[in-house]
Amino acid sequence: MKLLIIEDEIELLIAISNYLIKENYLCELADNFASAREKLSTNAYDLILLDIGLPDGNGLELLTTIKEHQEKAGVIIVSAKNSSDDKIGGLDRGADDYMTKPFELAELNSRIKAILRRRRFEGNSVIKFHEMAIHTDNKLVSIHRKNIKLTKKEYDLLLFLLINKNRILTKETIAEHLWQDNIDMADNFDFIYTHLNNLRNKIKNAEGTDYIKTVYGMGYRFTDS
Amino acid sequence: MKFLTKINRSYFITLTIVLLISSVLGYLILHQVILNETKEALLGKVNLLKQQISEVGEIPNLYPEIEVKKIHRLDKLGATFKEIFIYNAEEDEMEPYLEYSAQEKIDDSFYSIQLRQSTFENEDLVVILALTMSLLLLSSFVILFVISWRINKTTWADFEQNLAEIENFDFNKKTTLHLMNSDIEEFDRLNRVLTKLTQKLKSDYISLREFAEDASHEIQTPLSIVRFTLDEILQLNPGEKIFEKVVVSINALKRLSALNENLLLLTKIENKQFKADHTISFTNLTNRKLEEFDAVLQMKKLTIETDFIEDFSVSMNQQLAERMFNNLFSNATHHNMENGTIKIQIKKNEFEICNSGSSNTLNNETIFNRFARGNSKSHGLGLAIVKNICNTHSLDIHYTKIDLHCFTIQRNKYK
Repeated sequence: MKLLIIEDEIELLIAISNYLIKENYLCELADNFASAREKLSTNAYDLILLDIGLPDGNGLELLTTIKEHQEKAGVIIVSAKNSSDDKIGGLDRGADDYMTKPFELAELNSRIKAILRRRRFEGNSVIKFHEMAIHTDNKLVSIHRKNIKLTKKEYDLLLFLLINKNRILTKETIAEHLWQDNIDMADNFDFIYTHLNNLRNKIKNAEGTDYIKTVYGMGYRFTDS
Repeated sequence: MKFLTKINRSYFITLTIVLLISSVLGYLILHQVILNETKEALLGKVNLLKQQISEVGEIPNLYPEIEVKKIHRLDKLGATFKEIFIYNAEEDEMEPYLEYSAQEKIDDSFYSIQLRQSTFENEDLVVILALTMSLLLLSSFVILFVISWRINKTTWADFEQNLAEIENFDFNKKTTLHLMNSDIEEFDRLNRVLTKLTQKLKSDYISLREFAEDASHEIQTPLSIVRFTLDEILQLNPGEKIFEKVVVSINALKRLSALNENLLLLTKIENKQFKADHTISFTNLTNRKLEEFDAVLQMKKLTIETDFIEDFSVSMNQQLAERMFNNLFSNATHHNMENGTIKIQIKKNEFEICNSGSSNTLNNETIFNRFARGNSKSHGLGLAIVKNICNTHSLDIHYTKIDLHCFTIQRNKYK
């Protein structure tokens, strides 16, 4: 999978690309409008991460270039402004998603995967991990080829953990992903235990392995090691 | 009161006073003039009468106009004028006369002469005057009314149009203020001042808005860098002690960006940057959110009691409506106790959310202020945001405590 990351803050650009390289993506970088446009008109990408706040041009205008040259690519707009105008404008011009800074790398990963799944569903709509399979097009989860019944939140939780497998996720990160804007940062997020425990029990009842490991009581990791 | 009404009214009052005074004066002057004329006429008659008596020797008598008597000697000297009333049988009323009385010696004989002439009746005079004056008043008022109506149609029309333009002017819209020029210097001066003022205000407003957004933008980028770096450290699994410290730092950072975002939101609400383009049903919103927050309720062992008597729907911005509910609901769970309750009641034009909690009554005045913190973890902007959302959507919110802490949102009756 080939990604183009357009971001004018070098540190952010490096942090994001380091992370995505670890996730086995091929990353190309552009830190200004001109080089981004040049790259967009010569190479083909599967996904483009576009910061619209560029110093030498409005990133939203790059969407036109993307439409011309990158038919197959998914686009995630990244903006520091949580502006509904930018959001609607971007989505109208063909962007797939919109993220506001600061965001979590795990969240970014989960959104990238979701777009890639949607864009090319040939065989990619099923995420497998040992005996576990998540059928993302009909939101079904099976263990040892037997479907298990999950609530919407449990499904989202499992998908998020699996996509970010081997990563340590704090409970705040998980809560933010599951409840998004509905969550107040001052809240106590212990309530995700309820969902986690229900999920663990359902997996165990289906004779699956509990891959969800607790890290020092503050975070979780989905891993088989 | 409209400017023209005001002018018309003061003109009418002044005119009435002037006409009243001039009526009284006119009456007095006219009365005096008539009296003088009558006197002159009487004196003329006296001369004619004397001539007649001396030439013809005949004493004419014509009551009540002429009364001449022969007398033996002169009792008094000089002539006097007197205003008297004499009964007129024909008209059955007393009529005013001016009486001239004198004793004269004509050709060695003495005569007492009394001449009378009917003068104007006072009543008639008053009636005529009043009639003239009111006619004058009426006609001048009609003329004035026509003139002001015409001025209104022409000169004031521009002014009214400019006024409407100013009234509908909104800094959020991308239009500039367009004021019509008239041929009246004062109005044009006002227009120039207003145009200059709005331009200045608009540029200030925009730069303030941009400042708020740019500041938030600039803060979010370094925050992202710190967050990514901390996350990288976390992924290295650095051992419990460091892990704990990193998580604490990440969470503090999250609170900082939440605070930043909330401050920006407050500014945007106050600047009216959100359009109320949805009809929000509080019943639907509550049902949806309760499902969303089910885990929170379970974890805190809170009981929800709902009482939907009648739906309450408001024209609102979707994002803000959700935020308002979230903040109120977070508030009700935060300050609650284990096995506590949350009661939500919706009735016509009213939404109420109540929660059990501490026995202290909060201050209805200060509770909605920014940074009025309920506990150390919150940033104290939640209720300030709710209050601002209410203000911009013609809603009232107030806090009461009887048994439970209650927040009631009602439709503002005056809007």
